[in-house]
Amino acid sequence: MPLQVDDIQGIILYGYGHLRHACFLLLGISDPSATKAWLKTLDVLSGRFNRNEVDRCLNVAFTSGGLRRLGLSDDLMCEFSSEFREGMAATPHRQRILGDSGESGPDRWRWGGPGNPELHVLLMLYARNEIALSELLTDQQSRFVSAGLTSIAQLDTNWLPQDKEHFGFRDGISTTAIEGFHKDTSPANTIAAGEFVLGYLNAYGQYTQRPLVNQAQNPHGLLPHAPEDPTRGDLGMNGSYLVFRQLSQEVTRFWQYCDEQTRRDGASSAKVRTRLAAKMVGRWPGGAPLVKSPERDDPALSSENEFLYHGEGDATGLKCPIGSHIRRTNPRDSLEPDPGSGRSIEVGKRHRLIRRGRAYGVPVAPSMDPADVLAAGPSTVERGLHFLCFNTHIGRQFEFIQHTWANNPGFDGLYDDDDPLIGDRGGSYGKSAGTFTIQADPVRTRVTGMPRFVHVRGGAYFFMPGIRALRFLGSL
Amino acid sequence: MPHQEALTVIARITPGHVPALKAVLGTIADHGDRWSVVPFATLANVHFARFVVFDETTDLDGNPLAPQLALMTNVDAPLDGHLEDLATECGAGLDRVFDHCEGYPGVAERTAAARVEFLREHQVRARAFYVNRQGRTVTQILGEEELRRAINGHLDSTDFSRQSPEAVRRSIVSYVSSRSDLAWALQPAERPALAWRIAELIHQVGIAVLAIVFLPLLLPLLPVLVLLLRRHEKRDVPDTSIAPADAVRRLRADEDYWVQNQVTAVGLFKPGLFRLILATAILLLTDYAVRHIYNRGSLSGLSSIHFARWVPLDGRRRLFFTSNYDGSLESYMDDFIDKAAWGLNAIFSSGDGFPRTCFLFCGGISDEKAYKRFLPTRQAQTQVWYSAYPHLTTKNVANNAAIREGLSDQLSEDETRTWLRRFGVGNQLPESGLIARIFDSIRWDRLCRCK
Repeated sequence: MPLQVDDIQGIILYGYGHLRHACFLLLGISDPSATKAWLKTLDVLSGRFNRNEVDRCLNVAFTSGGLRRLGLSDDLMCEFSSEFREGMAATPHRQRILGDSGESGPDRWRWGGPGNPELHVLLMLYARNEIALSELLTDQQSRFVSAGLTSIAQLDTNWLPQDKEHFGFRDGISTTAIEGFHKDTSPANTIAAGEFVLGYLNAYGQYTQRPLVNQAQNPHGLLPHAPEDPTRGDLGMNGSYLVFRQLSQEVTRFWQYCDEQTRRDGASSAKVRTRLAAKMVGRWPGGAPLVKSPERDDPALSSENEFLYHGEGDATGLKCPIGSHIRRTNPRDSLEPDPGSGRSIEVGKRHRLIRRGRAYGVPVAPSMDPADVLAAGPSTVERGLHFLCFNTHIGRQFEFIQHTWANNPGFDGLYDDDDPLIGDRGGSYGKSAGTFTIQADPVRTRVTGMPRFVHVRGGAYFFMPGIRALRFLGSL
Repeated sequence: MPHQEALTVIARITPGHVPALKAVLGTIADHGDRWSVVPFATLANVHFARFVVFDETTDLDGNPLAPQLALMTNVDAPLDGHLEDLATECGAGLDRVFDHCEGYPGVAERTAAARVEFLREHQVRARAFYVNRQGRTVTQILGEEELRRAINGHLDSTDFSRQSPEAVRRSIVSYVSSRSDLAWALQPAERPALAWRIAELIHQVGIAVLAIVFLPLLLPLLPVLVLLLRRHEKRDVPDTSIAPADAVRRLRADEDYWVQNQVTAVGLFKPGLFRLILATAILLLTDYAVRHIYNRGSLSGLSSIHFARWVPLDGRRRLFFTSNYDGSLESYMDDFIDKAAWGLNAIFSSGDGFPRTCFLFCGGISDEKAYKRFLPTRQAQTQVWYSAYPHLTTKNVANNAAIREGLSDQLSEDETRTWLRRFGVGNQLPESGLIARIFDSIRWDRLCRCK
């Protein structure tokens, strides 16, 4: 079934690379009926738009508390995924598997934690330039009082030079192609639409759990029909779960660590330092993947995403370390059964995300050069990534990737190595990790005692409804 | 070097004592790995241990099934020695626990011998018992991990990058020789006792011969059996209920403290003679398969299970399954769907309420939604769980064993290079046997098409 792009909110299908200015508003609902009236007229961008004509746009998503506040009945609520219903910070178990402890614990979060105001709505604002964004923001904010909304937090973003993230690596290269939507994509990276949009077949060839309503609950026929049961309205269809985590990055600490570990007789080497960092990431700062270019950054490969690991003869990680960030968050053909085979790739396709994050905070050094970062000295300004991703099964996709792959010190035959960038250093597995092993001949080298470079400052699970479902919510 | 055994002891809980017993046992979330009542860690040959309370319930006809307590351990043989250990070193703890069970010796009669007798009387044989790899003792597993850590420390101490693989290996071997506490590692690990290996071989060949003799007699019946099976499958009533949210939350609260996890699941057999015979046959085949086919670290492509067992409960009415595995329950379920759905379907489709199968091997848990909804409805809470090495994955254990082997083996240049890579990552699994590889190459999900 082709995607109903005009019923899917645009940010699920597109990264809005032409709208580089963005801001996220976290809102509470104080007057549900006023909010519902606002929802009926809210002009959100669908997946059908002309880049040249759109210079600003909105998208919207809700927490489970928000949907309840709008009046969604319990019997419908319980058909949403349990992870979404409970929320990101709800149980000690979820905090444990996500590694949200200590400095990253929800009790210290700025938003979304137990001590913060209850979130209901996420309003996402995107614009082509600073002026358009500020106009859009002012316009939206002026409606909040009459819409029964209270502002909880405003999260600004900052598109960094050279399309990099704060550690200085080119980001957003590995994008996931959606089957039946993106054309001419490589089969290994083309994923069933139902993994990212509800109401379509997922990577198991099945429909993911979501709320379906009977005719009585859908009196005006606002909702689309469920494909597996056309007598029922589909509240989930064309919607997706949005995982939002504010991840602060300790950029200076990261480069200081890489510097300390690579000094020889007290002298730093920019080349060796960058090589260690590249081994941790799995790509060079310019973007070239190590498995394709193990010894140097190669500008010709800066956007390269067509590669496998076993398929490139790197089963043992000699080129791209087994524990590097990009290899463990998307192992491609490294998984059992039978690594290097089509079956291995198939298994990996059940654990993919569509990433839509945006950086925030000013870079330590506008040049994004590690030498300048180190020269700048300690910084008190917070910076990082508003990590956003879409998936339809939070447990099998986002949480699995964070826990089973990123935080796991025993990932793929390792022992004490969690993800060098986003790992929680073993806390979620009850041990101390923070080792990074660089597979090499004649024998591996490794660095140990890595501090945590990324901390969680806030987070929540949202549901981003399809556009007809949005009108349905407005009519509750 | 001994092989590994599974001890299962099942006792009826004295009426009215379930709450008091549960209070003694606590939960994994309460005590983590520091449960001091029965100190399994003091027994050097226990790999895993658990206590599970099977709450009072009813069978399919509504007859009550009394609450029961199960004690399970995975130990290095001999089992007799283990019973002695339990009755002496853990005697006081056993008393506190089994005090709440029927038939346990009275306070005045609690001698080691009386405890052993009680354990023996209540011992139940597992219908099938899976061991990731037979022959690795607790001492060996812990020792080889210490060995790997020590060698890694040695590798960190010098820059080996310009040395030849042979030179690096020589340096490692000489380092290990210099450590008197690690000298044992220069000898290969012992294999399980010859008598045990011969008995296993006789079982392997004997059953195969019996099968070859009797299968031709069954073959003419096959079409009838398949028709019967399909008739039963069409009439099955899958349980589509959802486990209560608070029960699921309680189960989750016990999970993911270490790289290893545990699961206990229990269910009633489907009624009728056909299902009884089928279930018995499948469990026999399972026993055979895990002993002789899937005995090299992989259970149908699934490498994350350390030990698992299938045990009858209440005569032929119920069966429970326990597993000690690596990773989260989510990843465990995904593993089964992705790699071993056919086997799990064949075994557990005998269970009441199981997602509908098709020709025994297909359907069933291939329906992700149905499987993930069903499992929590059949889970029993493991109240106490112990692992002697909760931070080691099956791959870690296997890799450590291979590191130790490489110290004493004669290695070619290529083998030396491959061996040295084991200090970088231990993700090379031993190859499965021929029959296992044939089974694993079958795309079971594509064999049958049912509506």
